[in-house]
Amino acid sequence: MRTSLNFTAYLVYLPIVIILTWYVAHTLFKNSKIFMLDIFSGKTEIAISTNKLFETGFYLLNLGFALLIMEITTEIADSRTLLEVLSTKIGGFSIYLGISLFFNLYLFFRGRRISREKARLAEALKKIPGNS
Amino acid sequence: MNTLAYIIYLFITYLITVHVGLRFYRNGRVYILRLLHGDEKMTDSINNILLVGYYLLNLGYASLMISTWKTITTWAEMVGSISTMTGKIMLALGIMHFWNMTVIYFISRKHNTITHHKI
Repeated sequence: MRTSLNFTAYLVYLPIVIILTWYVAHTLFKNSKIFMLDIFSGKTEIAISTNKLFETGFYLLNLGFALLIMEITTEIADSRTLLEVLSTKIGGFSIYLGISLFFNLYLFFRGRRISREKARLAEALKKIPGNS
Repeated sequence: MNTLAYIIYLFITYLITVHVGLRFYRNGRVYILRLLHGDEKMTDSINNILLVGYYLLNLGYASLMISTWKTITTWAEMVGSISTMTGKIMLALGIMHFWNMTVIYFISRKHNTITHHKI
C-alpha cells in the first residue's frame, strides 16, 4: 500500500516529539524551582504550586502544538521524501520548543528582578523614621 | 473507522482533562487561599465549583468537536485527525490556563497595593 509510509512517518514523529517535550520540560522545571523560591521569597508551598502550574501549561501548549502540526497532507512515496518531511517537521518543532524555553526563562528572570525590587523597597520603607 | 477514532479520541481527551484538572485543583488552592486571606471553607467550595465547571466546559467542547469530523478511510488519516483534534484541545486548554494565571497575577497585585495603602 502506498499510504503506509505516511503512517510510518507518524509513528516516528510522535515518540520523538513526546520525548523531546518531556526532556525539555523536565530540565527546565527541575531548575526553575530555585527561581520560584527566590521569587516568592522562600514561601515553599506557593512556589512549588506555581512551578507545577507552569509545567502543566508548558506541556499543554507544546504537546498541543506538536499534535496540531503533525498531519502530513502530501503523499509520501519513497524514503527520501519521508526523511525530508520528517526532518522539516521535527526541526521546526525543536526551534519552536527552544523559543518557548527561552521565553519561560525570560519570565523567571523578570519575576526575580521584580521581587528583588519589592524587597529593596520594603527595606527602604522600614528605615524611614516614624513609618513602622 | 470513524467510530474507532471517536472512541480513542474521547479516551485521550478524558485522560488529559481529568489529569490536568486534578493538577489545577491541587495547585490552585494556595492561590485562592491567598486571595481570600486564609478563609479555608470558602476556598474549598470555590475550588470544587471551579473543578466541576472546568470539567463541564472541557468535556462539552471535546464532544462538540466530534460533529465536525471528516470521514476516515485509512489508518494514517485516523492517526492524523485524532492528533489534530487532540492538539487543538490541548492548545485551547494551555492558552486558557496561561490567561487565567495572568488574571490571577493581576488580581493579587491589586490586592497587594490596596493593603499597602491601608498601612
